[in-house]
Amino acid sequence: MKRLLSILIAGIMMASLLIGCGSSGNETEAIQPAASAETGESEKAVSAEASGGASGTVTIWYYWETAGHQEALNTIVQQFNDSQDEITVEAKYVPFADFKKQLSIGASADELPDLVILDNPDHAAYASMGIFADITDKFDVSTYYDGPVNSCTLDGKLYGVPFGSNCLLMFYNEDMLKEASVEVPTTWDELLETAQACTKDNVSGFAHCALQNEEGTFNFLTYVWSTGATSYEINSEGGIKALTMVKDLVDSGAMTKDAINWTQGDTMNQFISGNLAMMINGTWQVPTMREEVPDLNWNVAPIPMDMQQASGLGGENYAVVSGGNEEGAIEFLKFATSEETCLYMMETMGYISSNSVIAEGQFEGDAIYQAFVEEMQYAYARGPLAEWPDVSDAISLAFNEVITGASEPEAAAEKAQTTIDSIVGQ
Amino acid sequence: MNRVKKFFKYDNVGIFFVLPALLYMIIFVGYPIISNFILSFQDVTVKTLLSDVKEFVGLRNYIELFKQDNILTTSLWNTLIFTVACLVFQFIIGFALAVFFNKKFAISKPIRGLLMMPWMIPITVTGLIFKFMFGTDVGIINYFLKGLGLITENIDWLTNTATAMPAVIFANIWIGIPFNMILISTGLSTIPTELYESASIDGANKFQAFRKITLPLLRPTIETVLILGFIYTFKVYDLVYVMTSGGPVNSTQMLSTYSYKLSFEMFKYSKGAAVANILFVILFFVSLFYLKFTYSEEEA
Amino acid sequence: MGPEVSLSKRNNVLYCVIAILLLCILLFPLYWMFVTSIKTEKEIFQIPPTFWPEVLNLKSYAAQLESGDFNMFQSFGNSLIISIGAMVIAVILAVPASYGIAKYHFKGRKSVVLVFLVTQMLPVSVLLTPLFIMFKNLHLYNTVWSAILADATIGIPFSVLILRNYFASIPKEMEEAAYIDGCNKFTAFMRVLIPIAKPGVIVCAIFSFLYAWGDLAYGMTFIIDQQKRPITAGIFNFMGQYGTKWSYLSAFAIVTIIPVALIFIFMQKYIITGMTSGAVKG
Repeated sequence: MKRLLSILIAGIMMASLLIGCGSSGNETEAIQPAASAETGESEKAVSAEASGGASGTVTIWYYWETAGHQEALNTIVQQFNDSQDEITVEAKYVPFADFKKQLSIGASADELPDLVILDNPDHAAYASMGIFADITDKFDVSTYYDGPVNSCTLDGKLYGVPFGSNCLLMFYNEDMLKEASVEVPTTWDELLETAQACTKDNVSGFAHCALQNEEGTFNFLTYVWSTGATSYEINSEGGIKALTMVKDLVDSGAMTKDAINWTQGDTMNQFISGNLAMMINGTWQVPTMREEVPDLNWNVAPIPMDMQQASGLGGENYAVVSGGNEEGAIEFLKFATSEETCLYMMETMGYISSNSVIAEGQFEGDAIYQAFVEEMQYAYARGPLAEWPDVSDAISLAFNEVITGASEPEAAAEKAQTTIDSIVGQ
Repeated sequence: MNRVKKFFKYDNVGIFFVLPALLYMIIFVGYPIISNFILSFQDVTVKTLLSDVKEFVGLRNYIELFKQDNILTTSLWNTLIFTVACLVFQFIIGFALAVFFNKKFAISKPIRGLLMMPWMIPITVTGLIFKFMFGTDVGIINYFLKGLGLITENIDWLTNTATAMPAVIFANIWIGIPFNMILISTGLSTIPTELYESASIDGANKFQAFRKITLPLLRPTIETVLILGFIYTFKVYDLVYVMTSGGPVNSTQMLSTYSYKLSFEMFKYSKGAAVANILFVILFFVSLFYLKFTYSEEEA
Repeated sequence: MGPEVSLSKRNNVLYCVIAILLLCILLFPLYWMFVTSIKTEKEIFQIPPTFWPEVLNLKSYAAQLESGDFNMFQSFGNSLIISIGAMVIAVILAVPASYGIAKYHFKGRKSVVLVFLVTQMLPVSVLLTPLFIMFKNLHLYNTVWSAILADATIGIPFSVLILRNYFASIPKEMEEAAYIDGCNKFTAFMRVLIPIAKPGVIVCAIFSFLYAWGDLAYGMTFIIDQQKRPITAGIFNFMGQYGTKWSYLSAFAIVTIIPVALIFIFMQKYIITGMTSGAVKG
């Protein structure tokens, strides 16, 4: 027994030795958001010779898995590298499912890139962790849409630059609607009617992603925003109305309960297979749909509304990592957000520029995309709040309970509100 | 001289054989276990992750989890049900298959080899396959059930709080059968055939031979299979995450999926660590029980 | 089980038929995945489902080869290196350890077994951050070594516990015979016991290899360069932010399994012969 104990102690001492040697000061450095590049200690600037001028390597982390997206990013990275000698940029792919985990681990282990391209609702959380640099005076975002800019702002300071945006619209199958002799719905009541009319055999009238996660919340909140309520006011007239609407859709058979297991991609798959007459989905599906089902007669329309038109804002932001090669990153950002480069990325990837000046010039002659650009003014951002994931969680639980029949809208709303209040109140 | 001799007495040499593996595991896994322990007693969230001062809050995380968080109790319960159900079926089916394939018929070996496949596929992929097969409208399982006349309406397997758990259990059983089968097969091969011969000479029938020879001699193998099976199943993560993400409405939320969610989706690192520790402590006591049970038999 | 009487021809055929039936039932999900991989995305969601594609679609297999930074052959090679590395470490460390536990009743033996069990008890997600920090400080971050060392931690305890039974079933007489022939403890172990325990050792080597092969979490977290990641990481090429591409994903699954299945089928002849000949002959 004593021998075992001594082995255990020896082992643990060895382990801590391994951890300890070369251990960077992540236990001794409190990294404040306002830290400028001067705090770049040697262990942080592994990839940068931070000697005043912008130089060295800049590492980017991103999560796009689509080959086209990756190529587009690599192209502009290559262009940037070729255009000058001081800075070399490298882009690394970290899968979406792993992205938040990798950032958290990287933050703990002090192994972060210099630039991050991340999902806009997550931005506030990482900014409040203190890992993003404050770039308030370094960029002019006055012509950008409000939604995207809000998502990278915290306490009045700018912690990133929007990369590109997209939003949600209602897609509908023209043939199916014609067959059922119904018009494109514009209000909630019309939506219920139309969806029911189109439901038959194994065709569902309407659906959207209703997963119990951020993706689901993203889609559900369009109902809430349409009533005029904010995403923090679930136990309000608007919130309860939204929940009731979803319940009615499912109970009447107009929307299939299966949707609580469908991602937005799954929803699109159902639509293009002819199992769905109408769906809520986003800009990014358009290229795939055009490629997979060029013969399908589909179109888009604003999401049916209650009191006001509302859509959800999606898209990514750039963020400069505090303590990394900040200057190099900013140089690259200036290049990437310039009109020509930005347009190239947007067109190739099917995004709308967050810069309204550029956005309005995009997609000339393409009615579908232009509908999305038009909708941008009604697109609401989620949060921004450091604890947004918690709030999102409470919301997605609420509508899942309502859809599965586990709870009535009022009870679910109240429960969600209690959670939200305790989070926001902190 | 006497002391050296005493040290190298038959028994204590054993420790040298064990030392390298032991040290390896302590270094690479012992440290994470301890750091996780410490993490669970602190208050580490999005705001404090990178600060040097992490408030030590003692048992607060645990108390909050048990008192206020009914998802914790739900996931605890789910994990237990899941583990026991999977173990029972995996074991019985695996055992039956091992016995079946122990017979010498023409293609027994290649077929047994092929039956290892479910276990070789990355679990994430298996999870996706079953998610697809359990789909309400497009799933092949509903199609078969309807074809066999067992159901008239499609069952919404993964979206119904009552059927989601059976679905993930089913998928996990599928994965675990080869594991049980091959280990029991190996165990069966260690039983000398002469025992069966002398038993049949003594007039025992097959059933008695099974009870009196096979089972007792297989006992160490069975125990190992069960304890390892319990530990691995209890900490299931990939399969459930891919099939249901713990839903619908937490009906398949397990301790490990909940721990991951708390840490990496909600940024509540300390709470996530605490949940992982609860899992750990439960497994620890189960192992203690296993050890007491098995090794005391051996000393006798 | 039961005495090894050779089966009558009729029984032989009966057993074969049942075996094939079992195979079809158990492996149906794999068949289904294969069929899905050669359908078009549209047909995959058709109701009622088709058991053989109406329209053959081999695009998904072509897409496996290269996709952005992902190169299938390179990833396959990475997986091979990582899995073999983990397997070797596991076998080298675990075989002596399980022998020690099986044969020697030293003080603290129970605690040693407990330690091995304990190291299995944390969910992987919890091990990621501390190991990451450790590997970073050892300068192994973003190298295959981090994956090898991490994956070995899965194979070792498992091997120790399984092999223990195997070694325990080898009667003492074998060792005594070896001593009489002039071996000391270590050479007895190497020369006599390992050969006898070979089937068990091989089973453990294979399991360690397979655990490492199927690992996703360690390979993804500790290696940031796409080109160095194991093949399992390729799954994310088809499982992105906006949903799953089923035809590509199923093709990917098939491609990942086939090489391993081949390896296994060939090794299998070897193992099963070893296993069923029993550890002890008379």
